[in-house]
Amino acid sequence: MRISRRTFLKGSAAASGGLLASRFLFGELDTLMAQQPSSQQGEEWIPTACWIGKQDCGMLARRIDGRVVRLVGHPAHPRNRGTLCPKGVAQIMALYDPNRVKTPLIRTNEKGVPGQWRQATWDEALTLVGEKIREVRERDPRLLLWQKGRSKGKAFYDEAFVKASGATRLHHGAFCSDAGYRAGEYTVGISGVLHPDFRHTRYLLAWGWNLTNAGGNQLCWITWPQQLIQAKERGMKLVAIDPRLRGAGHFADEWLPIRPATDLALALALCHLLIAQGTIDREYLTKYTNAPFLIGEDGFFLRREDKELVWDLASNAPRPYDSPGIEPALEGEYVVDGAPAKPAFQAFKEHVAQYTPEWAAEVCGVPADAIERVARELGESARIGSTIVIDGVAVPYRPVAIMAYHMAQQELGFQAVRAMLLVMMLLGAIGAAGGQRLDVGPWKIHENFEKLDKIEIKDPPYNIYLKDSMFFPINSNNSAIVAKVMQNPEKYGVDYVPEVIIVHMNNPLVAFASQPDLIEGYKKFKFVVVIDPWLSKTADLFADVVLPAATLEKYEGPLSATDQYVDATALRIPVMSPLFQSRGDIEIYLDLCEKAGILFGEGGYLHHLNEALKLKDEYKLPLDRKPTVREIFDRWAKSAGITDGVAYFEKNGVTDSKPVPATKLYGYVTDPPFGGVRHRLYGESLGRYREEMRRRGVAETYWRDYTPFPTWRKPTMEESPPEYDLYLISYKLIEFKQSRSSQIPLLAELAPREWVEINPRTARARGINDGDEVWVESHNAVTGETRRVRTIARYREGIRPDTVGMPHHYGEAIRHPWTAGQGPTPNSLFFTGEGYVANTADQSFHVKVRVYK
Amino acid sequence: MARYAMVIDLDRCTGCRACMQACKVENNTPMANFWMYVFRFEEGEYPDTHVWFMPRPCMHCDNAPCAKVCPVGARYKRADGLVATDWDRCIGCRYCEVACPYGVNYFNWKKPSKNYYLDWQDEDVVQVTGGAVPPYRNPDLDAPYGEERRRTAGGGRLKGVIEKCTFCVQRVERGLQPACVENCPLFALHFGDLDDPNSTVSQLLRRKPSFRLLEELGTEPRVYYVGGHPPSTESRQIEEVKARV
Repeated sequence: MRISRRTFLKGSAAASGGLLASRFLFGELDTLMAQQPSSQQGEEWIPTACWIGKQDCGMLARRIDGRVVRLVGHPAHPRNRGTLCPKGVAQIMALYDPNRVKTPLIRTNEKGVPGQWRQATWDEALTLVGEKIREVRERDPRLLLWQKGRSKGKAFYDEAFVKASGATRLHHGAFCSDAGYRAGEYTVGISGVLHPDFRHTRYLLAWGWNLTNAGGNQLCWITWPQQLIQAKERGMKLVAIDPRLRGAGHFADEWLPIRPATDLALALALCHLLIAQGTIDREYLTKYTNAPFLIGEDGFFLRREDKELVWDLASNAPRPYDSPGIEPALEGEYVVDGAPAKPAFQAFKEHVAQYTPEWAAEVCGVPADAIERVARELGESARIGSTIVIDGVAVPYRPVAIMAYHMAQQELGFQAVRAMLLVMMLLGAIGAAGGQRLDVGPWKIHENFEKLDKIEIKDPPYNIYLKDSMFFPINSNNSAIVAKVMQNPEKYGVDYVPEVIIVHMNNPLVAFASQPDLIEGYKKFKFVVVIDPWLSKTADLFADVVLPAATLEKYEGPLSATDQYVDATALRIPVMSPLFQSRGDIEIYLDLCEKAGILFGEGGYLHHLNEALKLKDEYKLPLDRKPTVREIFDRWAKSAGITDGVAYFEKNGVTDSKPVPATKLYGYVTDPPFGGVRHRLYGESLGRYREEMRRRGVAETYWRDYTPFPTWRKPTMEESPPEYDLYLISYKLIEFKQSRSSQIPLLAELAPREWVEINPRTARARGINDGDEVWVESHNAVTGETRRVRTIARYREGIRPDTVGMPHHYGEAIRHPWTAGQGPTPNSLFFTGEGYVANTADQSFHVKVRVYK
Repeated sequence: MARYAMVIDLDRCTGCRACMQACKVENNTPMANFWMYVFRFEEGEYPDTHVWFMPRPCMHCDNAPCAKVCPVGARYKRADGLVATDWDRCIGCRYCEVACPYGVNYFNWKKPSKNYYLDWQDEDVVQVTGGAVPPYRNPDLDAPYGEERRRTAGGGRLKGVIEKCTFCVQRVERGLQPACVENCPLFALHFGDLDDPNSTVSQLLRRKPSFRLLEELGTEPRVYYVGGHPPSTESRQIEEVKARV
């Protein structure tokens, strides 16, 4: 565990490797004159991982005489390469914060108001929680819910605990882009939204990518901007499609200030233009998508013996799609068994004929000639038909891509992301070198590719998040919807109200849209347990018991360290003993399971942990003895072939990086190509769900967006009265991660309170000066409800005059001297429920507002 | 003797302000002191708008106006180019603050131990920190540095003295990069010896056109910018960090 900085750097130099060294540090680090001894007595460097963000950047903690004095980036960690974002640096202050929850707390006052607490021993608190879990599980396991924010040890929490306890797991959701994930899984079989192959991409649509503040697809920040800078320095062009310029900043070569929530329309117009230009990859569409499949008049594929038919131009007859030697048609109209039929591509071409650039210009508020230019540049840059050789393998080369993530959080989010994928499919760029990627790891088909295609809509009663329901057949299990259902279970065919919820490192009252609904929903729980280092707003208002988790003072993982080009694994290693009476989260789960009687034996937590960690037989945990957390990681590491076990990570933090070979990275050249699936240009099953939903008589609002091709309609919010003349969007700041760091004084000092960004000409027309206090009032077009908050107006030229923006981190997320007065959260202005969620039950961060003094 | 300089690549800066945080933790500066500050600027009118970012450390001028006006020799220029502040000798007259055209001097208005964000004398915290304020207090800052062996490192020394960016003298003398440079996620900050033609700073200055801030004043800054352009009256500061009162 004791390593000197110098040795460490020497050891890691080889691993951190060429990519950045050659680009960024041409020449060696400067040799500076050393006049002083190099280190303090008692100095140690502990490798660990950032606790705040989701990409778990590698860190080294400089410890002197047992006290941590600095956190620096781990030089050998592929995701951050020796650097940290402001949160990574500043969390050292959080470590020592005397305002952390120091002991287990038990509530002494009523719920729904700021909590009053008495300190409890761990034994008392855990016994209380364990008994509740035991009691409720015996009565009806559906009454137990479990919810976690960013998962830092999926095997321990999401898998083993959920399985052992039988709890219903709510998705972490929050600001996550679930609708985009579902679109990716459904359309091309990859779980992820959209990001480029930065090493080769030459033309990038940064679609709502807040690149100076937020990660982009899946990662939380540093990795993507580091790869972006290299791509830019190589000459990549970046077109920012965003109502605000601030996110892309000076990295945008061109800015298309799109009207909020019209992304679907723009993507459809790009499809229209690519087809009109003829810049489409026919070979890809024919071989790897369902574009040639014949659709009958009823909207379903024609099949023979369960095989979809295509029109074979060679024999001029319908043939099963996988018949050898056929020449499938993409276009034309045919007659099969006396009835008309056409290839899906033909139907798509007809479908997008209406979406002209002039039409999109009107909808999106972006000039038609700019849309045409982007389509032309996409078509030219895609170099359809070309290949390049990577790792000795010829890979189709389509150096065009989209980076998109949080823009998926809109009412039409699922179909908007599907339409963006269709743009890239037309270009043949999915899984190509320089083209479109979706997951940060290897090209791996997700089980949802099949599952989301074969959903059987069930009769009520439904579970609390409406799984397999006629309301949201594709379902991301979002807490805002759960809160809505909790308030009115009968309406949704739910015949129970859950009683106990365990909220782990999650702050749903602040993190989800529609704060008032969340508050009403969480009021219904009879018993709320919060596991968190801080007294979150959720804990403050609703927790019966708060269990203090450690921050960096714990073992946690295993954590992926891949940057998409190399693969590595890391662990979070305790930088010191847990402060106060806090404990590592895994330790808490072990004890909690013991108290609840679900730790030992077959089907217990340890049993499921063996499965979740994929431990080989010789390293499996005995099922009759509670192990230490360190021992579990030791077994895991040894089982994974690391002979030194956990000691390896205590010394090094992260495994050596292994390059991901081209045959794992690029869908075109995996074996079989694209994992053997055909990408869904046509979403036949979406049409099937739509029919089924209509047949069951649910309101149009639920089924109208289940269309086989993405289809534009005006978002529901457009029905608000004309005085609500502005769009409100929310966004992330680099200083904070959701609500997880707004109490860290070093960060709160940089951005102390909420504001609303407004274009000066919009503001002046309302008599609003820069810095004035204003009301922002939102309107729900379905229910007529209005909500308003008071905040500070800030002039920005870099935002559309019809749009205002608010950062999303605030709202006194945590009870702390530095969060007092930080102002409202925009989540108190957004809505959930009909008209304000995507058709896949994902939240929307869009609403019409008016702003006045 | 080396001739140290910093080169800041504005083409790479994302304005993330991680350098400000690295500086604050490494140098233990009190609240509202930003020895490294990152400006976020907006220019032009919608939709012809430009957004850019500019880190601003102390310029460590060769012709340092602050050193000239210091009546007690507390502010001085070292042979290697660092402009240092000897806080043992500073009398708090703030002449340097007035003389500096870059606004990089910070006066300790409050007793620093009372100006570190939170009350660190909490008894549970003290058990771990031994009472250190701030709790991440860096022991490297206590040593004397330079040929002069004067105490010039770190911040939060005394009420009534001036402090500013030292180029992390405590690190530079150990052969390390200043904390802001070492941490920059986009490798936008560079530090090294201008007399070494192979240093990163020398190479960058050969490769790209550069400017210095307020060059016309003849201060001869040791901080060079490449990429981008100098701020002008058209540059409006956004997301400004103000001291919390």
